[in-house]
Amino acid sequence: MSLFEKFEKTAALYNGLSEMGKNPFAVVMEEVLGPTRALIKGRETVLAGTHNYLGQTFEPKAIAAAKRALDEEGTGTTGSRFANGTFAGHKSLERALADFLGMKYCVVFSTGFVANLGAIAGLLDPAEDVVLIDADCHACIYDGCQLSGAETIRFRHNDPESLDKRLGRLDPKYKGKLVCIEGMYSMYGDIAPVKEFVEVAHRHGAYLLVDEAHSFGVYGEKGRGVAEAEGVMDKIDFYSGTFSKALAAIGGFVASNHPQAEYLRFSSRPYKFTASPSPATIASAHAALDNIAATPALRAKLWDNANRLHAALTQYGLRLAAPPAPVISVLLPTKEEAFAAWNFLIDQGVYVNMAIPPGTPGKESLLRLAVSSAHTNDDIDRLVAAYGAMAEAFPSARVAYAS
Amino acid sequence: MADQGIHGEDDLVFRRVCALLDPLNHKGVRLTRDIDLVADLEIDSVSVLDVVMDVEDAYDISIPVNTISETKTLGELVDAIHAIKKSQG
Ligand SMILES: Cc1ncc(COP(=O)(O)O)c(C=O)c1O
Repeated sequence: MSLFEKFEKTAALYNGLSEMGKNPFAVVMEEVLGPTRALIKGRETVLAGTHNYLGQTFEPKAIAAAKRALDEEGTGTTGSRFANGTFAGHKSLERALADFLGMKYCVVFSTGFVANLGAIAGLLDPAEDVVLIDADCHACIYDGCQLSGAETIRFRHNDPESLDKRLGRLDPKYKGKLVCIEGMYSMYGDIAPVKEFVEVAHRHGAYLLVDEAHSFGVYGEKGRGVAEAEGVMDKIDFYSGTFSKALAAIGGFVASNHPQAEYLRFSSRPYKFTASPSPATIASAHAALDNIAATPALRAKLWDNANRLHAALTQYGLRLAAPPAPVISVLLPTKEEAFAAWNFLIDQGVYVNMAIPPGTPGKESLLRLAVSSAHTNDDIDRLVAAYGAMAEAFPSARVAYAS
Repeated sequence: MADQGIHGEDDLVFRRVCALLDPLNHKGVRLTRDIDLVADLEIDSVSVLDVVMDVEDAYDISIPVNTISETKTLGELVDAIHAIKKSQG
């Protein structure tokens, strides 16, 4: 039985959560009522823990395009991009993504997770390259590094100086150097100083990959991400993203101005050995992309909602992890309090995400609210009321308590 | 450096790592070379990585994640630091 032994402690914790209350990691959306509402345990709930930043899950043009693709191209590609799984739709979405970003090349993968695995492991040679990653990078970046087999060095979160030091003391034996950061980090909703990272990386002859999974469509004048907001879109070497958030589908991509990015099509095992996104998925992602490109008002609405919520939560004295952003996290000192506060909110008809160490950047737990442009005034009012009640019931969630 | 080559518990690197681990040692476990960082101290793997970052800055060295995942005990970590100090220092 030693195969299972290692899980027992975590299993006890996981099962214990369900006994103590509702388990945040076992939520079922019993019926989806719209972009920001679902039935959970039979109750109509406001969804504020999804990544539907631009409310595209029920965009009529995306739904129509997906239906058409189903009718005309079938349910699945039954193969990988490398073999039989590249249809005209995959190629035209790659073109459209590259154009949207103002970059020359784009490679579509099956998910955002796989795109990062594919880019990092596809680019690095374990024998001669090195990769440096922000300590708070997403699991798929860590896993990409591990899959690559290359030496992996962490630097302090959002700290270009920490990167500078580590690049400075690298053994000259390394041929290729890759630095990985994100645009907006998903746990706190904090933003990377991308411009400074570009400067440091390039000064040391390293390439920079920015994962804009959460910031694509959301930051920058055209919605290209934090790199655009920082004025360095043309300077980053690789841009990775996902269809699973602002585009409300599933899939991922890597864009670049280096023509050699195309080499990923043969160097990247996560590109070659997994089935490509289905035609309907590609069609809805493409229609959502066209829609968000043509409708900057969606981004404006998202930011209005984010600013409103951030201001209200600040007013309640809640301890927030970062300045206003589409992710607004409240910090709580312990797992137990986070769990109780999460249960409190779900009982008020509000679904957010709970995150606990080691899945969080620091030692604290957090309740993570992800804002959508589709949140109505009524949704926002309900969120504000529920958080107000939570602030009353959980003094440890407030700034005054921590200081 | 005076502390090279001494791989016992009076070793300076060992003592420095202990000082960095101290705030995480909630159970007050006695820190010896043999303790397992994750199992005995009950600290998660990410916290181990964060302690290692402090070690890196203290000694101005870089310790690859790959190396850390190969070390289980405090003694192995200390030895890895010694080895890296030698090659990078
Ligand atoms: C930073 C980051 N990168 C990549 C991913 C993975 O994206 P996907 O859901 O498309 O696999 C996520 C989302 O979970 C993420 O937060």
